[in-house]
Amino acid sequence: MADDVVVGKEVWKIFGSGETEVAALRGVDVTIGRGEMVAIVGPSGCGKTTFLNCFSGLDDITRGSVHLEGADLAAMDDRKRSDYRARRVGFVFQSYNLLPILTAEENVALPLLITGVGGDEARERSRQLLTELGLGERLTRRPSELSGGQQQRVSLARALVGKPAIVWADEPTGNLDEKGTRQVTELLRQLNRDYHQTIVVVTHDPTVAASCDRTLRMEDGRFVA
Amino acid sequence: MADSLIAGLFLLLAVVALLLAVLALRHRVAFRLGVRNAARARRRTAMLLMGLLIGTSIIAGSLVVGDTIDSLALHYTYLAVGHSDEAIGDQSASGNWQPFNYSVYGSVQSAAPGDHEISGVTPEIVGSVSILDRTTDIPQPSLNLIAVNGNQSAVLGSFVSDTGAVVQGPAPGEVILDDLAASEMNASAGDSVVLYGPNAQPVPMVVQAVVQDNERGAFPTGGVGNYGSAFIDLSAGQSLEAMPGSINFLVISIAGGESQQLAHSDAVSAFLNTTIASIPAAHGLAVDEILKNAVATEDTKGSGATTLFLVLGLFSIAAGALLVVGIFTLLAEERKGEMGVERALGLRREELVYSFLFEGTFYAAGSALAGTALGVAVGYGLTYAFGGLIRTAGISEAALLQSFTVTPEALVLSYVAGFLLTLVTVAVASRRASRLNIVRAIRDLPEPDPPRRTYTYLALFGAIAFVLGALLYAKTYQGTSAISDPVIGGALVLAGLALVAARFVRNRPVFSALGVALLIWGGYEPLRTWALGTSHGGGVYGVFVEGIMLVTGAVLIYAFNAATVAAALVRLAGGRRKRAPVALVGLSFPGRRPGRTTTTLAIFALVSFTLVIIAAVGSSLDASLSTLEREESGGYALVAFSSTSAPQLPAYVSGNATLSPDFAHVVPLSTGPINVSVNGSNLAPYSDSVYSAPTGEPAFSDFYSSNQYTYSATLNGMSASQVDQELSSDPGVAIVDQTYSTVPDNLATSVPAGHPQVNPGAGIELTNPLNGNTTFVTVIGVMTQDVLTGVFVNPAAAAKLGVTGAQIFLMGVAPGIADATAALAAKKAFFPYGLVVVNLENAIASSIATTEGEIELLQIFVGLGLVVGIAAMGIVAARAVAERRREIGMLRANGFTQGMIIRAFLLEYTFITVIGLAIGTALGLLAVWNLTHSAQATATGVTDFAVPWLNLVIILVVAYGLSMLAVTGPSRRAARLPPAVAVRSSE
Repeated sequence: MADDVVVGKEVWKIFGSGETEVAALRGVDVTIGRGEMVAIVGPSGCGKTTFLNCFSGLDDITRGSVHLEGADLAAMDDRKRSDYRARRVGFVFQSYNLLPILTAEENVALPLLITGVGGDEARERSRQLLTELGLGERLTRRPSELSGGQQQRVSLARALVGKPAIVWADEPTGNLDEKGTRQVTELLRQLNRDYHQTIVVVTHDPTVAASCDRTLRMEDGRFVA
Repeated sequence: MADSLIAGLFLLLAVVALLLAVLALRHRVAFRLGVRNAARARRRTAMLLMGLLIGTSIIAGSLVVGDTIDSLALHYTYLAVGHSDEAIGDQSASGNWQPFNYSVYGSVQSAAPGDHEISGVTPEIVGSVSILDRTTDIPQPSLNLIAVNGNQSAVLGSFVSDTGAVVQGPAPGEVILDDLAASEMNASAGDSVVLYGPNAQPVPMVVQAVVQDNERGAFPTGGVGNYGSAFIDLSAGQSLEAMPGSINFLVISIAGGESQQLAHSDAVSAFLNTTIASIPAAHGLAVDEILKNAVATEDTKGSGATTLFLVLGLFSIAAGALLVVGIFTLLAEERKGEMGVERALGLRREELVYSFLFEGTFYAAGSALAGTALGVAVGYGLTYAFGGLIRTAGISEAALLQSFTVTPEALVLSYVAGFLLTLVTVAVASRRASRLNIVRAIRDLPEPDPPRRTYTYLALFGAIAFVLGALLYAKTYQGTSAISDPVIGGALVLAGLALVAARFVRNRPVFSALGVALLIWGGYEPLRTWALGTSHGGGVYGVFVEGIMLVTGAVLIYAFNAATVAAALVRLAGGRRKRAPVALVGLSFPGRRPGRTTTTLAIFALVSFTLVIIAAVGSSLDASLSTLEREESGGYALVAFSSTSAPQLPAYVSGNATLSPDFAHVVPLSTGPINVSVNGSNLAPYSDSVYSAPTGEPAFSDFYSSNQYTYSATLNGMSASQVDQELSSDPGVAIVDQTYSTVPDNLATSVPAGHPQVNPGAGIELTNPLNGNTTFVTVIGVMTQDVLTGVFVNPAAAAKLGVTGAQIFLMGVAPGIADATAALAAKKAFFPYGLVVVNLENAIASSIATTEGEIELLQIFVGLGLVVGIAAMGIVAARAVAERRREIGMLRANGFTQGMIIRAFLLEYTFITVIGLAIGTALGLLAVWNLTHSAQATATGVTDFAVPWLNLVIILVVAYGLSMLAVTGPSRRAARLPPAVAVRSSE
C-alpha cells in the first residue's frame, strides 16, 4: 500500500552461531502506516530494541525483508543508508544521546547540516523548534546544563527538525519522572498530529503505550496478539 | 662518584619500594583492587605502558647519546695521541723543544724495563718546517716536523695510507706527509719537495706516502692549530734542524689498552721523573703526560657538549612528563563512574587513592623498565643515524658506532627517574581523582566550577609566588650573569599576580592576560634588555627557560580562548555545506574541552619549538656568514703570520708588478705577549697579545685609514673612524677584541676562565712578561672581531712595552680577485719568510660547517620528542574512540557516513596538531629573531635572521603526517563501529 511506511516480512535477526546462536527476531511480519503512532511493548529481552535497530536501518537483518517508504533496506549500502537516515529518519533514545560538547541549538541543527541545509537556516529552524518545545531560553546551554526532561525535549527536537517520515523512539521516557514522562508523551502525540509523522515507540510504560494509536506486543522475538 | 650515584639511586628506589610495600600491607583491599585493575584489561594496560614508557625512553636516550658523544670524543683523543702517551723534553717559554744529547735516549731505554708498564721509548726531533712542493709549485710553511727512525718507532704503530695500506718508514731521503699537509700543498706520493729548516738550507726530498693523520700519523702533541705534519728520518731531521748528535723529544709508550694507558700514566710519570733525575745529561728535562692532559682537556669540552644535549633533551623530557600526566588524567576521567560506585559501596577515599596508586605502581615499574630498554635502543638508533649523516671532517661512522656507550649510571638513572616521575604523577592524579562527588561521578555529570575558597587558596599561593618572584628578580637582575634567574623571577611575579586576580575576576581574561604577559616577558627582547640590562648570558639553560615560558604563555591563551577560535572556524566552514557538520563535530571537541587537548597541544608546541629553534639557528648562522666575515676580517680577507720578521713586505707587495694588482692593502702589525690587569679588578693578570700598527704609513699599508673593523661599544659613542684617529695619536688609549666584551656570548662558551671583561673607559695595565715593561691605557673601543685576540695600542705604547717589528700582515684583497688566488700568491712570494696565510672566509666557513654538523645531530636528537607528541596523539585518539562510542553511534544514526566520522576525527586532531606546531614554530622563530637582535648577537655569531624554509617544511610535514597516521587507526575503528551497538554502549 502506498501509505505503508514500514513493511517487514519474515524478518529474522540471529546473533552468534552454533551453540551460542540466539534468534532475537523470529520471522516478524509488520506493517505500519504513514502518520501512525505505534507502541512496541513487551518484557525485557523480548527483542524490542533489536526490532527498532533492524527496522530503522541501524543494524542488518539475517533473513526476510524490511522496506521503508517502499525502499528495501537490504539493497542500500552504508552510504545510502546513512543518507536515508539523515533525510527520512529521526531517533529518540532513552539516554538522550546528545553530543555533550554542542549546545542545545547545535545538537538540533546537526541533522539539518548533515543533509546540506545551510548553517544559518539550520540554526533558525532549530531555534524555532526548540522555542516551540519550550526551550527558547535554553538554546545555548549544553546538555549537562539541562534537566533530564529538557534533554529529552532537545533529543525530540533533533529527531523531528528534519521532518523525517519516521521517528523511532527507544524508551524515550525511561529516564524521566512522571511529569517528564507526561510532557514527552504529550509532545510526541502533538507532533504526530501536527506533522503527520510516523512514530514508533518502544516502551515499558503503559501510559505511553496508551497514548499511541496502536500497541504491538512482542514476546520471544515475535509479535503476539 | 658514579658508584655513589648508583648507590644513592638504588637507596631511593629501595625506600620508595619499602614504603609502597608497607602501604600495601596496611591497605590490602586497595592493593587487591589495584592489582585487579591493572590485570583485568590487558589491552588497555599495554597501551598505558606504551605511553608511559616513552618518557623514560627519552631520558635513557638522552643519557646514552650524551655518553656516546663523550666516548666518541675520547676515542678521537686516543687516536690523536696515538701511542705517544708521555714525553720527556724541555719546552722553552716560546714553545720550542730544546735539544738534548742522544745518549739520554739510551739511558732511559735501558731503565725502561724497570717499569713493566712502559712498552717502548722512541727518540725524536719535533719542530717546524717549511716545504715547497716542486711538482705542484705550492709551498706550505710552518708544518710540524717529526724526525724519527722507522726501525726505532715500531711501538708507535704503523703509518696507514688513505687506501688502508701499511707504510714503513720514513725512509731516508723521503718524507711522509699526513693528509692535512698534503692537502695544503695538493701533494701526492712521488712529488718532489724541498724542506727548509730554521737555517733555511734547502733539503730536497721525495714524498714517500700520504698517510692518515691519526694514531701513528698524528702529531704527538695533538697538533692543535697545525697545518699538517711531515715525518722524516732522524738523521735527516738532525741535519735539517741543526741538531747533530741530539734529539729534543723522547716518546714513551705505555702498555695495554686505552683505559690501562690512562690508569698507569701517573705511575709511569713518577718512574720517568726518578729515572731522568739520575741521568746527568737529562738535567732540565721534564715529563709531559700527553695522554692524561689531552683526556682532561677533552673531558672539559665533552661535558659542554653533553650539557647542550641534555638541556635540549629537557624539552623532550618535559614533553614525556606531560604525556604521563595526560595519560593518568585520562585514566582518572575514564574511571570516574566506577570510582563513584566504589565510593557509594563504602570504599573510603584513602582506599581509593591507594588502589589507584598501587595500580600506577605496576604501570610505573613496568614502563620504566621497558622504557629504559627502549631508550637504549633509541640511543643506538640515533647513533646509527648520526653515523649516516655526519659530515664533520675526520669523524667516521665506524668510530661513532664503536663509541656507542651505555653506562650503568645511565640505566639506573633512567629507570629511577622514569619510575618516580610516573609514580609521582600517579599519586597526584589519584588524589585529585579521589575527590570526586559520588553522585556526579556515577551519573557522569561535569564538575562545577571550583568553590570560592579554592580561589582564595590560589590567591594566597599567588601572593607567595609574587613575593618570591620579586625577591628572586631583585636579587639576580644585576647580581648574576645567568639570565634564567631574573627571568624566572619575573615570570613568578606575573603568575602570582594572575592567581591573586583570579580570586576577583573571571578566569578567561585573567589567564589570557597572563599568557600574553608571559609571551611579552619571554619574547619581547627590548623589554628584557630594558629590565635586565645587557650583561646577562645564561647559555643554553636560558633557551630552556625562555622556551618553557613562551610555550606556557601561548598554551594558556589557547586553553582559555580555544572555543572562540573553534567557533570562528566552524562558522567559516559553515559556508560549505558538505563540510559544516564535520567541522561542527570535529572542532567542537577540542574547542570546548581544551583541558583534554591542552596537554597534547603543549607537547607539540614544546617539541616543534625546540626543532625550529635549532633549524633557525642553523639558517641564521649561514645568513650571518658575510656579516661575520666582515666583522671578523675588518676588510682584510687574509691574515698572514710570519715567524721571521719581514718588515718590508708591504713595500715589496706594492712595488711588485705581479703581486700589487692582487692586493688593496697590506698592513703590518707588530705583536708580542702581554699580561693584562684591569684597574679595580681582583682577577689575576691575563696572558694575552698586544698589537700595534705603525703610523705615517702610505695609504696602501695604513691601518688607521684602511681598516673596517666594527665596534660593539665605544667610549662616549665615538664612531669607528674617531676611535682609529684616537688610537693613532694617543699612546694612552687602547682597543680590545670581542672576548673582552661585557656582553656575554649566549651560546658559545669560548671565552676562557679568568678572562677580563671591560667596558669603554676602563683603565688597564699592560705588562710585557719578557722584559717587565709596563704601560697604562684606557679602553676606548671593544671590537666585534675575535680573530686577533688581545689589545691594540698606539705604536708609542708598543715601543714602551718593547714590542716592535712586523710579525702579522693584514691583507686586503683587490676587488675582483679571489681570496684564494691572492693567498696563494702571497704564500709563494714570501715562502722564504715562512709566511702563513690564513683565509678568513674559509676559516669562518669551516667553523660554521662544524656547527652545522652539530645542529643536524641536535635536530635528530630533539626530534625524539616528536615521538612523544605522536604517541600522545595516538593514545588520546584511541581513548576518545572508546569514550565516545555512544556519541559516534548517535552521529551514525543521524546520518553521518563512515567517511564523515573519519574526517571529523582527523579534523579534531588536525586542529590540535596545527595549533601546537604553529605555536612552537612561531615562538621558535621569535626566539632566534631575538637572538639575532640581542646584545649577544655579535658574540654568538648569529647576527642575521633567516627562516629555515626547507627545514620548516620538513619538520611540519613530518610532524603533521605522522600524527595523522597515528590518529587514522582509531578514526577508522570509530567509523566502523556498528551504529546499533555504539549507540547503546556505555564504557
